[in-house]
Amino acid sequence: MRRTNIVASVVFILAVGIILALNPRNTIKVQSAFLGMVAPFFRTGSALRVRIDNYHKALKSLAQLEHDNALLVVENSALKTDNETLRGLEQENNRLRRAIGYEERSVFQLIPARIIARDSGTWWNTVKIDRGFDDGIDPDMPVLTEDGLVGKTTAVSKNMSTVLLIADETCKVAASVEGTREQGIVRGERTSTSSQPEISLSYLSKTADIKPGQKVYTSGVGGVYPSGVAIGVIKDFKVRELDGRATVIPAVDLTTLQDVFIVVGKK
Amino acid sequence: MIFFGILVAGLFLSLVAQEFIQPLAWLYGARVLLMPIVMFYGALALPYWGMLALAFLGGLMWDAVTVPVVDSTVEISLGWSILLYATLGAIMSGFRPLFQRGRWEIHCLMSGFFTSVIVLAEYLMITIRRGGLIFPNEVWWRVGGAGVIAALLSPFFFFTLNWLAPFVGYEIKPEQKGIL
Repeated sequence: MRRTNIVASVVFILAVGIILALNPRNTIKVQSAFLGMVAPFFRTGSALRVRIDNYHKALKSLAQLEHDNALLVVENSALKTDNETLRGLEQENNRLRRAIGYEERSVFQLIPARIIARDSGTWWNTVKIDRGFDDGIDPDMPVLTEDGLVGKTTAVSKNMSTVLLIADETCKVAASVEGTREQGIVRGERTSTSSQPEISLSYLSKTADIKPGQKVYTSGVGGVYPSGVAIGVIKDFKVRELDGRATVIPAVDLTTLQDVFIVVGKK
Repeated sequence: MIFFGILVAGLFLSLVAQEFIQPLAWLYGARVLLMPIVMFYGALALPYWGMLALAFLGGLMWDAVTVPVVDSTVEISLGWSILLYATLGAIMSGFRPLFQRGRWEIHCLMSGFFTSVIVLAEYLMITIRRGGLIFPNEVWWRVGGAGVIAALLSPFFFFTLNWLAPFVGYEIKPEQKGIL
């Protein structure tokens, strides 16, 4: 073996040894630094993809656009009215909660984000979003859409973050089932056979009266996720040796997700 | 050195590019992995020290982008990919003489096979870590699918990079005795 190769091997082994010895905190720092470096490339790639998509959409006819616009105007008016009504109800609800000594229920403070890349690895369900430290994002912040829970942030860099989706096996969410006192843990599957991933709700009681179609919400236990966020709908319920386990269809279509909101606090 | 720089840039760009390619639903979610192809070409074209440097940078980039840290727990240690890339790169390096004689087909097949090895190694590591040795058919489709796609794409990458080398004054020289 040539001398250069021996020196290269020694340097290589030392460098790898240092990297492998990093603790999780330093690993996160390295990941954040690297994500910060690649963020401009991801943003550019994402912007390019959006432009290509928009170009195809722009090929719609003028009549079609007019029709779409008219529908959106009507929908916008209806949503404004709904919003006003709901705001009134929220105030009334908080007033009544105060009157009976309940803690006031606040709406979340949300930051919108766009998904710029998805599923980096073969075995992990993650997406990358275009928000980071600069926008007030920290690790372990809940991510959701208007339909329900998406996941939580993990590695966060200056202006890009990784979101672990609820379809991932390592993402665990405390959940409760609508209309029952049942509580359990929702987690994803290691591999999924269907195009739309399914998640499971475990540690339910064996005698639980759970039927397909019932909704599953976050219970708020654990502190990461706020309570009352929709997770999905029960598909089936099976009794196992020690507990009951339900299959849940996520409320959010995780495969076509484009825009999300990060919960950074309460208003 | 310029060619080494081109390969490092190639690793980086292929890592970014593969993020924008959707997993193939018809192949049970198998991914199109471009970075390992560039890495394996580097193992053939560069001397031993260059291969190690490329494996170090490639493995580090790969782990930094793909491996999530959940609840302050690192599922796969940062740096394990470096070792895997270096090991596979060293094997590939042994086939350099055959590559220099213009025989590419074996290296393209090896590139595909080694890509599958990387995907399978990842799965084995998370399986051991999480417990429960589960090997449904989808796992084999994803492992094999990624390899087949890499093997099919390899000739294009190998040809392009080999064509580029003389333009920057790089000549692939037999630095050491290979196994063939």
